[in-house]
Amino acid sequence: MALTRRLRPDGATSSALPGVDSVTRLFSSNRANKIVAAAILPVVVLVVWQLAGPHGSLFGGVLPTPDRVAKAWYTWVFGTNSLGFNPYSGGWLDSVIFSTTRVLQGFAVAVVLGIPTGIMIGWSRLASETIDPLIQLLRPIPITAWLPFSIAVFGISSFGAIFLIALGVFYPVVINTTQGARHVERDLVRAAEMMGAGRFDILWRVVVPASLPAIFTGLRIGLGIGWTAVIVAEMIAVKSGLGYALWDAYYVGRMDVVIADMATIGLMGLLSDQIILVCERYALSWRRVNANR
Amino acid sequence: MASIQISNLNKIYPGPKPVRALDHVDLVVEEGEFLALLGPSGCGKSTLLNILAGFETSTEGVVLFERQTIDKAGPDRGVVFQEAALFPWLTVFDNITFGPRVQGIKRAVYEQAAREMLDLVGLSDFAQSYPSQLSGGMRQRVGIARVLVMKPRALLMDEPFGALDAQTRLTMQELLLDVWQRLKITVVFVTHDIDEAILLADRVCVMSARPARIAQQIAIQLPRPRSIDDLTSPGFIRHKAEIMQVMRAAHSQKHIAAA
Repeated sequence: MALTRRLRPDGATSSALPGVDSVTRLFSSNRANKIVAAAILPVVVLVVWQLAGPHGSLFGGVLPTPDRVAKAWYTWVFGTNSLGFNPYSGGWLDSVIFSTTRVLQGFAVAVVLGIPTGIMIGWSRLASETIDPLIQLLRPIPITAWLPFSIAVFGISSFGAIFLIALGVFYPVVINTTQGARHVERDLVRAAEMMGAGRFDILWRVVVPASLPAIFTGLRIGLGIGWTAVIVAEMIAVKSGLGYALWDAYYVGRMDVVIADMATIGLMGLLSDQIILVCERYALSWRRVNANR
Repeated sequence: MASIQISNLNKIYPGPKPVRALDHVDLVVEEGEFLALLGPSGCGKSTLLNILAGFETSTEGVVLFERQTIDKAGPDRGVVFQEAALFPWLTVFDNITFGPRVQGIKRAVYEQAAREMLDLVGLSDFAQSYPSQLSGGMRQRVGIARVLVMKPRALLMDEPFGALDAQTRLTMQELLLDVWQRLKITVVFVTHDIDEAILLADRVCVMSARPARIAQQIAIQLPRPRSIDDLTSPGFIRHKAEIMQVMRAAHSQKHIAAA
């Protein structure tokens, strides 16, 4: 029997046998099914978690069940500020905005410094020999170890948080950009030279675009570290934002708010990663127009 | 007039165990001549081409292009690479116009020429495609077009069809014959394929294995314009027999020297 093959929209071939195909489709062929597939495990976890605590909490009252977390989260988001009786009635959006702004600021500083530095280290031997050793020397110091330094220099302020975030994002951005710039195909550089490109043209029109895939990898890793850094910094060095709320809620025994805060951080991290992915898809569209011959 | 003059060229790659890649090479390429450098893989013929391109420097010797010492790469010597070396993030059109753009030539000036080159290599319908969407042969056509658009005075080709399948290679050889017939520019063509060298070139330089030396030069007497039909002509077969003998001799000499 001749096995006919046809092209799926993603370019992979699939068998035209009806049984095989419908099974494949159930799990991967359309977006709605993908979302359902992705939701199964989280829903199971939530249900088990809920059923495990018939009195609204687990572990002797320490861990609230999802319904209580949801309620606390709802109040935190939509509640009105009730004269200080419940600090977690309303104010969620402010916390989100404080933290997000700091992440964006620190991320921006790291990107503006990190990408050009990485390109230079990857491209120029002089930069590689002078700047790279310093970065390798400082990199093993965890950003948490910089906290006292940051507070001493910047005080209890947003700048301290931004400094830590920028530092945390800087390393992966620099290192990945360096890798990208270091491994530009030699013939691409030679081709550009042959066509009359000067040093700047080669950097801007060849090395930078050739490094973009690696740069985006650095940005994604960096952003993850940026969210870690902002929470750590806000727990200790700033008095606002999701990190501050997290620690403060724990301190007053509001585990429902703690978990709502954690979920918020997770969602923000996911959202920001998705935004970078969209940018990457746009900037690297040349990679995805796959061979159709 | 001589386009390329090479005298007493030596190339040694330094290191704990220095490697001699080129050994006293003397060569003159006339203007408008199609010259093939034929030799086994890794014999140093690409090194010679890279020195002509200005990608590598010589250890010793004189290398002149139009009486000027070659010290860097430039658009007067268009290079066609083995793997095309197109910029994957640029469309075919942007790849072809890369040279004029970095040289600061206005779009109004180069656009027409670029369209003509696309037409010449038969890729007019693919101007907005990306290299990843093209076959190997099509990519190499772009590689040729982006060089021709700069109106180079010499073409340096480093096994440009070596990675293509036999069928595509024949098509590309015919395309190159056609292009050369129209433009009559100096070509230095590196290959390890005897048939390709005879079919395309006015003169074949047989190189010995590392360190590369020019073992013998053979003028190809086949009339122009040529086509792939020449591959089976009696004159072609005679040249092939002659060259195979030279290559065998160059090879065995090396063995005697090594023993």
